[in-house]
Amino acid sequence: MLIQFTLNGRPVSVEAPAHLTLLTVLRDYFHLTGAKEGCSIGECGTCAVLVDGELVNSCLMLAPKVAARTVLTIEGVSPADGSLSDLQEAFIAYGAVQCGFCTPGMVLAGEALLAQTLTPTREQIRTALAGNLCRCTGYQQIVDAIAAAGAQRKEVN
Amino acid sequence: MVAMRQRGPWFDRLVDISAIPELREIVVRGDQIRLGACVTFARAAAHPQLRALTPMLAEACLSIGGPQIQNVGTVGGNVANAAACADTLPVLVALDAQAHIAGAAGERVLPVSELIIAPHHTALQQGELLTAFSFAAPPAGARSIFIKVGRRNAQAISRLSVAAIGHVDAAGLVDHVRLAVGAALPRPQRLTAVEALVHGQRPAPGLYALAGAQAVAVMLDITGRRWSTEYKEVALSQLAPYALARVLEDAPLPTRFDTP
Repeated sequence: MLIQFTLNGRPVSVEAPAHLTLLTVLRDYFHLTGAKEGCSIGECGTCAVLVDGELVNSCLMLAPKVAARTVLTIEGVSPADGSLSDLQEAFIAYGAVQCGFCTPGMVLAGEALLAQTLTPTREQIRTALAGNLCRCTGYQQIVDAIAAAGAQRKEVN
Repeated sequence: MVAMRQRGPWFDRLVDISAIPELREIVVRGDQIRLGACVTFARAAAHPQLRALTPMLAEACLSIGGPQIQNVGTVGGNVANAAACADTLPVLVALDAQAHIAGAAGERVLPVSELIIAPHHTALQQGELLTAFSFAAPPAGARSIFIKVGRRNAQAISRLSVAAIGHVDAAGLVDHVRLAVGAALPRPQRLTAVEALVHGQRPAPGLYALAGAQAVAVMLDITGRRWSTEYKEVALSQLAPYALARVLEDAPLPTRFDTP
């Protein structure tokens, strides 16, 4: 079926079978490989993307469900000039990236939270990351990076 | 979705019902609540009136999976999937919620406790659609709680859960109490024997302990001794008294509400 939606700020349309997941369509049809298939059962969050600003696991969402909606993947987070976003820079500065497999989902979970508040408590950050697993760094650095990016955005505003 | 991915599509038609407005409604009129089957856990938990009237329902919704799951998963899906450990089931059963079911012949209404027949089996017939739940909020001044035991704080399937509602009258006696357990029985139900034991009594640790023992007795009566009983009887004997104490006394209730 024909699925039309807004992907990383750009209107797109794709002809794909209705039973494919959003993750499959993003990776195999749009070649956006930032969202990863980790567990495929909704436990790890490494496939997370934002749909209309809400964090969802793209492995558990059928692609037709994003029709007429907006999807943001990690590829759409950074500015068009190829530089990194402030949150991505914070992940680097705070050592929040090791193998990198969980990072796209973590960054998007962070963006979903920072859209709600720029001054989240550590507990709120941990809750916002509850559906994203990291097996390398532990979570302190990731929490630190999101807190720092929020504080920085607050200052800029 | 997980089953579909593991088995491959076994259907030739797929209908997305998630955008039907009637299925997404939360309607509160006085103490009467109607919750559409496609209301997501996140929306139910964030609804101010629902949070105020039935905090335990919001707590249960916030205990399911993580944010990604709560943004997509629905109360109707949780019920229709009918897992014994489903977290909204003990809450809806404690509230005596009715399930509204639409079919070609019209609507029928069934208590949630009768909609679930056995784990992963419901009374839904082919061609029927679960559309909403309706229930009355607990009496004014009543307290409610949902607590669960899992391996982690989030992304954890309930090993045991308890939903409780309680109210104490001016004389200090319990005049309203509801108790339902999840992940303990093949089909969710109120523990009426425990409620009867507590009703009319003065809240006290001894009473809670008796109630806990009675809750375990009810569970064993229904399930017999299973592989998990060794754990569940100990957990329930503590969790039921804990829940009753929290709803019958004035101490602050534990909460997951810390979302911005």
